[in-house]
Amino acid sequence: MNGQRIVALAWKEWREIIRDRLFFALAFVVPAMLMLLFGFGLTLDVENLPFAVVDYDKTAASRDYAYRFISSRYFAFQGYAADEHDVDALLADNKVRMVLVIPPRFDERLGRGEPAPVQVLIDGTFPERTQTSMGYVAAINSAVSLDNMAHALSSARGIPLAEARQRVQPVKLEVRYLYNQSVKSIWSLAPKLIMLIMMLSPPFLTAVGVVREKESGSIFNIYSSTVSPGEFLLGKLAPYVAISIANAMFLWLLATWLFGAPFKGDPLFFAFATVLYVICTTGIGLVISMLVQTQVAAMIVASIVSIIPAVLYSGVLLPLPSLSPAASMLAHALPPMYYTNIVVGCFLKAVSWHALWLEVLVLAAYAVGLFGLGYLLFTKRPKS
Amino acid sequence: MKQMMNGGLLSVPGLRRLRVMTQKELLQLFRDLALMVFFLYSFTGDIYLAASGVSMQLKNAAIATLDADYSFASRELASRFQPPYFQPAGSVADARQAIRRLDDGDVMAVLDVPPRFQERLQRGEQVSVQLQVDTSNSVLGFLASSYGAQIVGKYALEAAAQREGLAASGGIAGPLVEADTRVWYNPNQNDAWFMGISELLTVVTLFSILLPAAAMVREKERGTIEQLMVTPLTSFQILFPKVVAMTLVILAGSAIALFGVLGPLFQLPMRGSLVTFFLITALYVFTTAGLGLLAATVARNLAQVGMLTVVILMPMLLLSGAWTPIEAMPPWMRGLAWISPLHYFLDAAYGILLKGVGLDLLWDSVLAMGGLGVVVFAAGMRRFGRQFG
Repeated sequence: MNGQRIVALAWKEWREIIRDRLFFALAFVVPAMLMLLFGFGLTLDVENLPFAVVDYDKTAASRDYAYRFISSRYFAFQGYAADEHDVDALLADNKVRMVLVIPPRFDERLGRGEPAPVQVLIDGTFPERTQTSMGYVAAINSAVSLDNMAHALSSARGIPLAEARQRVQPVKLEVRYLYNQSVKSIWSLAPKLIMLIMMLSPPFLTAVGVVREKESGSIFNIYSSTVSPGEFLLGKLAPYVAISIANAMFLWLLATWLFGAPFKGDPLFFAFATVLYVICTTGIGLVISMLVQTQVAAMIVASIVSIIPAVLYSGVLLPLPSLSPAASMLAHALPPMYYTNIVVGCFLKAVSWHALWLEVLVLAAYAVGLFGLGYLLFTKRPKS
Repeated sequence: MKQMMNGGLLSVPGLRRLRVMTQKELLQLFRDLALMVFFLYSFTGDIYLAASGVSMQLKNAAIATLDADYSFASRELASRFQPPYFQPAGSVADARQAIRRLDDGDVMAVLDVPPRFQERLQRGEQVSVQLQVDTSNSVLGFLASSYGAQIVGKYALEAAAQREGLAASGGIAGPLVEADTRVWYNPNQNDAWFMGISELLTVVTLFSILLPAAAMVREKERGTIEQLMVTPLTSFQILFPKVVAMTLVILAGSAIALFGVLGPLFQLPMRGSLVTFFLITALYVFTTAGLGLLAATVARNLAQVGMLTVVILMPMLLLSGAWTPIEAMPPWMRGLAWISPLHYFLDAAYGILLKGVGLDLLWDSVLAMGGLGVVVFAAGMRRFGRQFG
């Protein structure tokens, strides 16, 4: 290992990156753009669900009931439909995602103190949204039922409405939202976006950067020089690691300032873990670049290899406990999940070494393993 | 395919050139072994993983009970938190232990029943129980609290009915509103269908932007574009075969994914006309390839194309409505979704495969997609013509 050679190589690589202005700009713009785009656009809240009402009863009670849905911010009323046959086309054409059907004698049954059925048709194309909307429907229905019960009890027993209300609801549930009190999506999302973007961008940059030399043939200059494989890899990758660390810092600033995510943890610990993670993801790019010959292949492999685990198996969009056993194994075998635990711990839970040492250890093992593999795969005497 | 292309119509000089150029593109593509291996993986293994591995629903969320009452009523309430949504995970002794188990991610929720719960319930007082939910994942947190509220609400109503003498043999007799919820198109809410199709569309999008753009810029980078420019080929005859070749390959990939993975392994229904599906897919690939070619006229080398692909791909995926509902986005983003071809393709693909709709309902999506394609392709051709004309 010769320090001077490493510095010279890193400098050469740096110059090359800067000279390609568009590439250099995009290396910084892309992560920031992704952060803004996902931060503003990726709301996981289900709101304004378009729906229609079929009212066969057409009484004050049925209209009052429908109004509970119409006035809710979770639903966006698209109008009344005449009967259920119209509804098929509306649901099929994505004009509405839900239809509320109020059958005849709705008012009459309630007036007599009997349960009144209603029918809810929900588009099941997006299962997670379907479940959430079913939750909203259940909440509205139970509120309506409680109201009705309280009114009935108050007039039957001659007690004040407030007391009746208390009697029909003897147990109240208070929900305490931990770690993210307002359940604002963006608070839980912004920290994880750092994980996501730092999984996408470094492998891409690195893989393309190394394979570029292979494809253009300039790698033969390295083969014929006195530079050793280890020196080449360190010097070549240093600028990419540096760019990615700068990006990670910028993303952290966006998360805390722009999106207002609380950062409760230890900044030093977080910085250390982040550098480790960036080295890991750069290592993924390194290994990819050793396995492919063309930049197109490098880009495809980098995006498939990094997007899937980052989006699906890290806990950003999808809850980890609901993964199938095979997918859960895969999630445990890849770095994003561990770094997700670290970012969530640092941002929302204020935990540090004592709870997260294992995660840090796994990332370190990954970094060493990936660079070791890259070193083994890199040979100055290629076949053919 | 070769024989098909050797048909009479294709011997017209212009069309023959297109055919030869298409063959050249296909050859070039197939020679990159690593690329082809990954191409196949993307349309099989990757889609299999996405469809099999992931469920966006709350399943077996571990819940612990902090029971300070130890009565019949409190145990009855706690025992109602059952699979499929919840999974009882024992009890905790005090609040500190509860917080520690939540901190460790060992349980997702803790039900906290106060002392004298049963006694106060019987006396007719209103009692509060607390549900502490880990909402690090807000979707899950919402679902857990929503199911928790339903369970407790039902319990409370039954307790009230019993006390007030409203209980009937079949349940509660009172002016309740009972919803009968029916889920259409995917009654069992099979996540594999949703995730599988969504992943297929993502992969199709990635390849339709990247492959033609890369094929174009590689010619620029290596200088072989100059050779093409001195041939009698028009710029349309240079650009279009790239798109045709990639479209053929991507359609083949989609067929493998549908008939090799999603159909046999996940029983995807495919209710609508498959011919329509593949025609719309071809139109979509053409439109998206136009975006790639436009990027290729901006980029000087492949590294730039790669970055530009990310710049185009990510907003398209986000604005498609596959990951998050478009209705819930801020209005300006909803506006942007109208110019994302994936938005239309998504409607069409789910519509045909799951809902069984045909062109009579999808014509507006198809028209919009085609319109976008023509505009983008024309812009790409214009820029290309200016650069090399």
